[in-house]
Amino acid sequence: MNKLRILIKFEWLNFRADKGLLILTALALLAGLYGIYYGTTEIERQRENIAALEVLTEQNVEEMKMKYPGDADAGDLGYYHSTFAVNHPDSWAGLSMGQRDLNPYYLKLRLLNLQSQLYDTENINPLKVLSGNFDLAFVLVYLFPLLIIGLCFNILSVEKEQGTLPLLLSQPIGPALIVGAKLVFRIILVLGMALFLSVLAMWWGRVVPDVRVVLWFGVVVLNCLFWFGVAFLVAALQKNSAFNAVTLLGVWLLLTIVIPALLNVYVSVKQPVPQALALTIQQREVVHGGWDKPKGETMEKFFALYPQWRDTAEIEGGFAWRWYYAFQHLGDVAVADLAKSYEEGLYARQQLVNSLNVLSVPVNVQGVLNAMAGSDLPAHLDFLKSASRYHDSLREFYYPFLYRQVPFTHADYAGEPRHSFTGSPDFTTIYSGLAKLLVSVLLVFTAALLLFKIRTVTVK
Amino acid sequence: MVRSIAKKEFISTLRDSRFMALSILVLLLLLAATIVGLQSYKNLQEERMVAQQTVNEQFANAADRHPHRMAHYGSYAFRPKSGISFLDFGLDSYTGSSVYMEAHRQNSANFSQAQQSTSLIRFGEMTVAFVLQMLIPLLIIFLCFGAFTQEKETGTLKILLSQGISVRELAWAKIAGYSKVVALVVAPALLLVSILQFGRGGFEADGDVFIRLLLFILSYLLYFFIFIVLSVVVSALHQRSATALVSLLGIWILACVIIPKATANLGAGLYTTPTRAWMDAEVHEEVKKRIDGHNSNDERAEALKQELFKKYGVNSLEELPVNFDGIWMAAGEEQSSRVYGEHFDELTAIFEKQNNISEYAGLFNPYLAVRHLSMGAAGSDFSHYVHFLKEAEEYRYNQTQKLNQIQATQLKYGDKETRLSTDTWKAFEPFTYETPDAGWVLKNHVVSVAALLLWLVLVSTAGIKLIEKIKVA
Repeated sequence: MNKLRILIKFEWLNFRADKGLLILTALALLAGLYGIYYGTTEIERQRENIAALEVLTEQNVEEMKMKYPGDADAGDLGYYHSTFAVNHPDSWAGLSMGQRDLNPYYLKLRLLNLQSQLYDTENINPLKVLSGNFDLAFVLVYLFPLLIIGLCFNILSVEKEQGTLPLLLSQPIGPALIVGAKLVFRIILVLGMALFLSVLAMWWGRVVPDVRVVLWFGVVVLNCLFWFGVAFLVAALQKNSAFNAVTLLGVWLLLTIVIPALLNVYVSVKQPVPQALALTIQQREVVHGGWDKPKGETMEKFFALYPQWRDTAEIEGGFAWRWYYAFQHLGDVAVADLAKSYEEGLYARQQLVNSLNVLSVPVNVQGVLNAMAGSDLPAHLDFLKSASRYHDSLREFYYPFLYRQVPFTHADYAGEPRHSFTGSPDFTTIYSGLAKLLVSVLLVFTAALLLFKIRTVTVK
Repeated sequence: MVRSIAKKEFISTLRDSRFMALSILVLLLLLAATIVGLQSYKNLQEERMVAQQTVNEQFANAADRHPHRMAHYGSYAFRPKSGISFLDFGLDSYTGSSVYMEAHRQNSANFSQAQQSTSLIRFGEMTVAFVLQMLIPLLIIFLCFGAFTQEKETGTLKILLSQGISVRELAWAKIAGYSKVVALVVAPALLLVSILQFGRGGFEADGDVFIRLLLFILSYLLYFFIFIVLSVVVSALHQRSATALVSLLGIWILACVIIPKATANLGAGLYTTPTRAWMDAEVHEEVKKRIDGHNSNDERAEALKQELFKKYGVNSLEELPVNFDGIWMAAGEEQSSRVYGEHFDELTAIFEKQNNISEYAGLFNPYLAVRHLSMGAAGSDFSHYVHFLKEAEEYRYNQTQKLNQIQATQLKYGDKETRLSTDTWKAFEPFTYETPDAGWVLKNHVVSVAALLLWLVLVSTAGIKLIEKIKVA
């Protein structure tokens, strides 16, 4: 034990004297700090934007009150008045922004056909979303492996190349102890940094301190250990530093870029979602066809779904709002199957990724972090579902006004339902991801240890 | 002497089995990327063409309707993929593919590939451009990192120089040798890509695609050459191969992984993007208040009525030879579209400011320069996207106004019942989209072209100067 302590101490002295390593470590730390700052600011901006939506709703209500100073027809409001369905970021979202920059985090809704409003997008700069987010998750998934590679690619080879290995081995210490001490020192350093950044991010982002704190630490530690394992494995091959550097970077490239890109192709081929365009086209046909159909036919179809309004006044004349909203809704009903299979197709894509992520630790880790922050695709789909339910509740709120022909008074605005949704962490994905990660770490360390045992360390 | 050194580098590389293995790997990836790209291009293109055809037919065969109903029925614009976008998906996966075009409203482009993907897509896509931008430079680094350090380590540098060759000549000889090797790796791939492109469209494929392809290939050749010289320079500045390699890999990580993300994030941080909800609200407010700044909507309608009464010498709307509904709607459409257009231009300007940070960063990072040029040539960059959106908006505007015109001339005032026959709709030209020409692309990416040329000059003058100064111990 004493020898280990001495070795680690000398590693520390060595590290302190190596300008290159110090710069590398400082850069990683700076990147981490920037990632924390970026992620939390970006999510804060989303929060502000969401808060501003309330102002817009208020303004809209004021405008309606001005436009209809007395009693209003609820039908007019359904058309001219709009509210928002909002997807609040989870308190953890700043740490791993996932798809939150890509998918809209609010939807402007009117009483009209839902399917024509559900997929509207936000103003996003495509170049920015292509480049991705520089959040803490990026630093941990992309950059920390590179830091580990930078610190470890020559742990054994450098001693050979400098000719210090024979000197070391002439002391009463074995090669296992030397490599072990070097690894332990580096693991302490990197884990210290990763955990420090994580704690800082949690504090700075004011996250809700629940079980996720432990889970986050678990993922971060295992992720780092995996890359140390890879570095150890390559060191056990006992090649020169240049070979190690190229091999390690190759592994990084393979796991972080090439395999995910190939997986992405596979997933989109295996699970196509052709429903989107069909959905949007068909929805328009049905809704606009509503104008050309006899009113009785439309209402009959609607009453089959909402029998409670059957015994209301007959529609007379050319136009009635309740008829208009009835065929708007029937447009949604007509494409319900398509919408359902579109949604299922997207969930299935995520399922497929969850089953394939054993092939790449970075994909797995990113998935777990996004699941923790409620910022992945399923979280967005959950939001869309919640928005649909909100639209249902809006319709149910307005139907009595429309069918009983009750005037909409200024006091009634306050009764209109409001929407709020916050994505919740997906613990199934988190736990299964953690389990897979643990297996990956064990596998890579076992392989490295075996290889290290088999190949006796040569001094040249 | 120079020639034989170049030849020696070339031959000894070919004998290096590790390098050959890596090259074959890269070539295989290039092949895979080409197949994947073509397949995805075909699928998306077909899906969109079918959709476009469907909606065109639906419009032409629509039932007898009131023209304003038809204006609300509207059309769709599905964005066709540019001919050579299979080489570089660029922003295409992140931009919406369908725009619903209706009266009074400008809708967003919906259903982007990225929105239909899991977070997997954020790791990047397997395209030819990806292999050329990120992997070939790695191959180059692997090829060149020992250019000078190896000669130093084995002590052959002194011997070489004692043969009467200058350091400068030696550097160029090595660069020539390595360039030949890289050419050997990329030439078959680029040739294949060109054959595929022209085999697909037949040789009648227009000259513009040819120029775009040429621009694409030339930018990459330039980029590779810059990387080769840069690697040789870095090698010359180091004493040991291992440290030269680590430095080069560090440069690669910085240039290809960290800086692109950092500049894009920086841009978005510096120039705030307004949300769509606020933009719409502002457009709405402005449309309400506009026209001389004080006239309300009702006053405006009254003014327009009086103007028409005067013009036709009548006293009531019923007596007008034109339908005031149509005229009034056309005036409203014109105004709201103008206001929207201004806000859209403001938004685009903000995005362009954000993107300019990345584009100008190309002056410091050739990766960014080649990335922008490549997307531009492939027709998948930001300006192509905006160009499509503007065309769609123009179509929407013209279609709506044409329908308003029909209402103004063929229907009586207050007539909400008359339905025009389906033949009326057949007279409408469907939406078509033409990609702008290659000259337009170059104009958009002057900075990137300049950046690549600047780098070329820089590495071959200052870079070589640095090599000349090395100490031969």
